[in-house]
Amino acid sequence: MPRLLRLTSWPLTVKVPLLVAGLMVAIAVAISQIVLARLARDQETNLRLLSNAYLDGLSAAVLPAVIRSDIWETFDALDRARGRYSGVKVRYAFVELPNETILAASDPDRFPVMKPVPEKLRKEFPKDDGLAIDEASGRAWLTRTLRTEGFSVGRIHAEIDIADLLRVRHQVLLTLLLANGGLALAFALIGYFAVKHMLQPLSVLTRYVERIRDGRLEPIPQRYRRNVASEFGQIFDRFNAMARTLSERETLATQLAEQEKYAMLGRLASGMAHEVNNPLGGMLNAIDTIQAHGNDPAVVQTSLEFLKRGLAGIRNVVRAALVTYKGGSGTVLTPAELDDLPFLVQHETGVRRLRLEWCNRVEAPLAIDGPAVRQVVLNLLLNACAASPVAGAVAVEAAPADGGLRITVSDEGPGLPIELAALLEQPETPAPSRAGKGLGLWTTAHLVRRLGGRVAVERPGTGTRVVVTLPVVPTKETTRDAA
Amino acid sequence: MPAIGRSRPARGSSITRRRLLLGLGAAAALGLARASAAETFSFGLTPVFLDNDIELLSMLERYLTGRLRRPVALIKRRTYQEISALLISGQLDAAWICDDPYVQYRNQLTLLAVPLYHHRPLYQTYIIVNEASRAQDFDDIRGTVHAFSDPDSTSGYLITRWLLALRHTMPAQFFREFFFTYGHRNVIRAVGSGLAESGSIDGYVWDVMRDREPDLVRKTRIVYRSEWLGFPPMVAPNARANEPAVKAFAAALLDAASDPLGRQILDILALDGFTTGTPDMYQSTLDKWRVVKAQV
Repeated sequence: MPRLLRLTSWPLTVKVPLLVAGLMVAIAVAISQIVLARLARDQETNLRLLSNAYLDGLSAAVLPAVIRSDIWETFDALDRARGRYSGVKVRYAFVELPNETILAASDPDRFPVMKPVPEKLRKEFPKDDGLAIDEASGRAWLTRTLRTEGFSVGRIHAEIDIADLLRVRHQVLLTLLLANGGLALAFALIGYFAVKHMLQPLSVLTRYVERIRDGRLEPIPQRYRRNVASEFGQIFDRFNAMARTLSERETLATQLAEQEKYAMLGRLASGMAHEVNNPLGGMLNAIDTIQAHGNDPAVVQTSLEFLKRGLAGIRNVVRAALVTYKGGSGTVLTPAELDDLPFLVQHETGVRRLRLEWCNRVEAPLAIDGPAVRQVVLNLLLNACAASPVAGAVAVEAAPADGGLRITVSDEGPGLPIELAALLEQPETPAPSRAGKGLGLWTTAHLVRRLGGRVAVERPGTGTRVVVTLPVVPTKETTRDAA
Repeated sequence: MPAIGRSRPARGSSITRRRLLLGLGAAAALGLARASAAETFSFGLTPVFLDNDIELLSMLERYLTGRLRRPVALIKRRTYQEISALLISGQLDAAWICDDPYVQYRNQLTLLAVPLYHHRPLYQTYIIVNEASRAQDFDDIRGTVHAFSDPDSTSGYLITRWLLALRHTMPAQFFREFFFTYGHRNVIRAVGSGLAESGSIDGYVWDVMRDREPDLVRKTRIVYRSEWLGFPPMVAPNARANEPAVKAFAAALLDAASDPLGRQILDILALDGFTTGTPDMYQSTLDKWRVVKAQV
């Protein structure tokens, strides 16, 4: 949900049309403002012109009557002027004498002759000659002083209905809103489809990049390469080139890892021969003992026990070798698969009198590539055995940690050379340059990266401690267990 | 205003000519004036309710021109006094004036014909108020804004002044405000619109207007009707009374009811015809004028 709220994470197909629509709305608002302001100004100018024309005509008509304070003639002029001026909707008009009484009004019922101007109304009219507009009430008020020979003989006041002007303004506003809203929507839609079309190659690219995550490294088919913009064409070409390189490297790495496995098995084979051969001597002695002293049940029992132990030892060694050779299941690591490993290094530890401290805290099967983990641990273990001084101690600890698996391999050797430590620790596995030298560690590093894990090399005073942290794919079962 | 436009050149030329002749000796001027009068007959009209009826003026001009066999100029002025002045000074051959100026200048004027309204040469004065007013009689209009028609009008001023004189008061004291509209129709407009709260009006005009412009008249209501008075007459200056043109003019009026065009004119005016009047028909008006005159 928060991802949806983050604007930067929105797809371009939405962002660009929204941007276009937003800009259109901004432009529309600005233009509407300008148009309406201009309209209002023009309307006011027109109103002033028309009002002045009305007042000019009316002044000329009433002035002689006002000079004589002639009620009838003044009324007659006001009455005749009513409705004669198109563009000025006069609601009423009246002439006020200098003594602030009304001489005559177009609406005598409301403004009786020789009565003072209602105080409430007086406030509405401009103090000096001119026009006062009140848009809220849709009215405007006019005042014009009637002068003869420089003396004021009275003033004309008129109230004008400007509702029509305001209605025109509202209509223009509505038209602008509809037109601009429609345009903004249309541009947004056009933008949406245009951008969607333009970004089509990007979605193809995204699809193929997504496939890499699933482990499928495929070049983009040629049919997509056609009909795309040149920029995308270049990107497609680069992607395909990269895909090819990566694919080749992956193949090479897999081959190397495979070879390393067999190389390791070869190395292990002689040790294993010892491990098989050693009990064999004892077992033959036991058979001889049974043949010689078959009557003594206690001797037979002891010899058979010895034989059983010898055979069990051989079986363990052979089984561990078989598992390593065959690979086993690629999706699950059982605790037993890890516990096999000490048998494979029995010879190494035995010859050098090393003390192997084996601690496997993994109690349930983990959803992780078992054979790969085995090879990683075996490689590190063999490396540690090789590095340890005679009668030294090698410790291996495997334990679930933070929803993953942590494997720690420690030795008391002189310490892992910096370049080899870097090979393990750096996030990218470089191409194996020197064949054979460090191939075991390179394979380890490669497998750890493939499993999505990382390696930390520590130097706790003496020796080396290699900590491998591997993520475990959460399965339904493990999720439920965790819950 | 085509009718007035048509009549203007004739009137203008005659007046200009007269003005030119004013510089000459009085006797010579009189003789020449008569000669010019033989050319164009000048007929003065006071604004009764005609001020709104161009068609009527055109018909009247046509009718009189046909009967008199000479051009007839219809002379209109804003006030009664202007027509009276023109008439007394001999600048008009005849005029239709109110009974008030007739009684004022009765010694210098000769009655030619009197209109018959509802078959009688009589009319009334009405005092009207706005329909919304609560006034019921004349005394209820005290303190109102009052619209008079004309200071020389019997119905539009004299009768009201007489009623006030009986109460020993004057318009300026009796009314909150008063003004003259110089037209009976304007009195109805003033009272109907609320500009004035009460008004003095020719009852004949009010009655006719009630049919012609009911929407306007409906906004007014009568609170006082005067006694019957002599109808505004057609008169000529005494000096012209015996001139053939003037006699022809009087005959044309008296015959109007039997002439198709004359009938049309009478219909528009809502009159039945004309009769020869006598000065005693205006005794009541004269009495009232004297009362008012005595008060000043």
